[in-house]
Amino acid sequence: MADRSDVVGTVAGPGDDPNEFVFVTPSDKSIKTGEFITYTVSVEDEPRSVFARVTNRELIRGLPEGFLADPEVGPETVAATLGVPTDDTELYRLTATVIGYYDTNMTTFANPRQLPDPGTPLSIAPHQQLETVLPNLGCETDSTDVTSLDGVAHVGWLLNRPAEATNLHIPIEEFASTHLAILASTGSGKSYTASVLIEEMMRPTSRASLLVFDPHGEYDTLAEMQGEEAFQGEDGYEPDVVYYDPERLRVRISELEIGDVMAVLDNPSNRMQDRLSTAWRSMQNRESRTWGIDALIAEMEAEFGADDASVGALEWRLRRSIERNDLFHPEENVPLDEIVDPGQCTVLQMDTLDRRDQQLITTVLLRRMYRERLGDVRNRDSDIEHPIFALFEEGHRFAPASGEAPSLGIMRTITSEGRKFGFGLGIISQRPSKIDQDVLSQCGTQISMQIKNPSDQDAIKNSVEAAGEDVLRELPGLTPGQAVVSGDAMNTPALIQVRQRRTPHGAGSRPVIEEWREAYDERQREPTQSESADFGEGESTGVQSLD
Amino acid sequence: MHRSTTRQQYGDGAMTDTPTNEDSPDLDSCVRIGSIVSSNSHLDYVVEVYKERDCDCPPELHEREFGQPVFIKKTVDGTEHAVMGVIYDTQLVDPDQGRTGPRLAQDDQAQFTPGYIEERTTLAGVALLGTAEISEDGEIQEPTHQMPRWTLEVEDTVFNCPDQVTVSFHTVDDQIQLAYMDRLLDIAGDLGSEVIVALINRLQGMLPDDDPNQRVLDVVEQNVQWQAREQRGVV
Ligand SMILES: Nc1ncnc2c1ncn2[C@@H]1O[C@H](COP(=O)(O)OP(=O)(O)O)[C@@H](O)[C@H]1O
Ligand SMILES: [Mg+2]
Repeated sequence: MADRSDVVGTVAGPGDDPNEFVFVTPSDKSIKTGEFITYTVSVEDEPRSVFARVTNRELIRGLPEGFLADPEVGPETVAATLGVPTDDTELYRLTATVIGYYDTNMTTFANPRQLPDPGTPLSIAPHQQLETVLPNLGCETDSTDVTSLDGVAHVGWLLNRPAEATNLHIPIEEFASTHLAILASTGSGKSYTASVLIEEMMRPTSRASLLVFDPHGEYDTLAEMQGEEAFQGEDGYEPDVVYYDPERLRVRISELEIGDVMAVLDNPSNRMQDRLSTAWRSMQNRESRTWGIDALIAEMEAEFGADDASVGALEWRLRRSIERNDLFHPEENVPLDEIVDPGQCTVLQMDTLDRRDQQLITTVLLRRMYRERLGDVRNRDSDIEHPIFALFEEGHRFAPASGEAPSLGIMRTITSEGRKFGFGLGIISQRPSKIDQDVLSQCGTQISMQIKNPSDQDAIKNSVEAAGEDVLRELPGLTPGQAVVSGDAMNTPALIQVRQRRTPHGAGSRPVIEEWREAYDERQREPTQSESADFGEGESTGVQSLD
Repeated sequence: MHRSTTRQQYGDGAMTDTPTNEDSPDLDSCVRIGSIVSSNSHLDYVVEVYKERDCDCPPELHEREFGQPVFIKKTVDGTEHAVMGVIYDTQLVDPDQGRTGPRLAQDDQAQFTPGYIEERTTLAGVALLGTAEISEDGEIQEPTHQMPRWTLEVEDTVFNCPDQVTVSFHTVDDQIQLAYMDRLLDIAGDLGSEVIVALINRLQGMLPDDDPNQRVLDVVEQNVQWQAREQRGVV
């Protein structure tokens, strides 16, 4: 405390809020908003380092704006003309909010309930200390080498600090069991950040069992983890990346619930719904789990008569929507033991399925996996005897606020109960306002990136209570790869730069110009007559081949 | 009465054409404007302007106008210096008017409190701006806009400062400076912004049109005028 060499500012007095104070710095100590600073107070006779977050910065003394009157004349030139020294002229008033001191018993921040006295010197919080106390790592000292801990994910570093200076390692267990939300506009780095987390979870120190529901084919490059030294364990461990293409995605018909079936049928009448429910119930009570549409129709005819009009109409709809859709099958099912395993990351490639089919396969898989997890925890026979974590791109598609998705029910169940059964979800979405509020508010850890749409910002504010206003204010101004991490995995929210992936990123936007030019060249090479054929009888307006 | 005895011989006549001598203005031959009769403060002097009676060649009206840069020569420690100033106010005194003598200024108008004067006189207020050394060949060098430390004397001669010297005094490292501005504003009071604007306009007239300092001076002028308007409640 006596050493003032690292002092960057001096407390001026209390701020507007009970937890706020104001301090003053000269211009050469450039402190940004979001920076973490610290000062020492005595709590029960023990000196404690209290941390505070800078929330606002304003100039209280500087060159007058009149000096800026001519854009071609620099204000420092005007100042020099008037003999005003330009170095050390500026003074800044900054506002900071007290976070607290790190209580090593509680392993989180405790509020000292007293603001620093005017005149208290302030320093920039040291790297290692922040690395220890910002994430919820449960460290028993306030300065630990967190890189040596198991089960942590290195997601990036504090945005206000130089690259890789103050790194953020978040506890995987925390976000994998109490669910995760990654929210941002398109192109802000959601898939990129999710891939960083996947890489971290697949390292030898964690060996997670992961499932990625990928409606856009954005995770095709994860396989490059295989063969990379960073992912290899001393015991020969290497992550297994399994791609499940749409041809192998199957839903066994008997796994569908009556609500799922209703969702795929075109507007069934009330009477049709009645008949189908009755027949579906009796089919599900049967011993066999491998029945098809034929058997179902036979059951309906047996109950309601072969010439019942509703049964006839149902038959037509069932054959069209279920029997003729390759996704559904009387016997085949996605074998759970193929898609979940420790050290395995399975990417379910759903990019060729339509939205309804994506929802149905998701619904059925989640339901089956949840059942197995439930069985495992209750000591019943189970196909999945370890915790699992499932990531969803386009999360609002599977848990929509509108309620219109068969998967919503099971998503709600898992997000509210899953932590007891070792089943975590990660919801990725560019439209937080379109996600079911129950699901979103159950996501204990949030990674929020650039988002401009006001209703989406509101959705984040409402569900992400852990991130204070001052941090959320940053969201519209972030650039791709910058994120606010908040919630259960953190002791206090932090603004970070997400680190670079080890594997290449597979979800860039398409090189449009290049593709146009290639397509044009391709077209040029085509024989002329086929071109005129395309235009029917009309004259071709295309550029003719020159030879 | 107390001042007339030691008036020098101004008959050397060559002074009128020296300011136009472009190469090297002879600081000795500059137009003499008047002599100091009193001061209001360390930086604020009262000068009685020469009349026909006082010398052969009294200053013409335009040579002692408002905003005219002036200098007073001082030898300090063997080095000749020019103490630079500017005329920031004038006042006419007629001792016959009501026999009250010059207006005995109230406290808040303390600029002019000359002693007893028996004839009609023009007084000029001169605010000091800074100092410079006078070199062997009569040019000024090492200009500084810091407050002059030396006190002037009653009867010190005040010279009209030629344009070239004015520019030299205002040029520090190729950059125009008016670093005395805050002090000048203070001394000149109500006419502070006007005297600065007059100085700036003079400097602008002396500099080439394409000199980069022109725009800087524009910005300074704008600032001064704006502040004056604000203070006077115009805006
Ligand atoms: N942490 C990061 N480091 C470097 N580049 C990034 C980072 N995050 C995002 N990007 C860049 O932003 C682009 C868009 O990211 P992406 O994750 O595909 O966006 P989203 O899934 O939100 O639409 C990526 O192609 C990549 O170039
Ligand atoms: Mg994406």
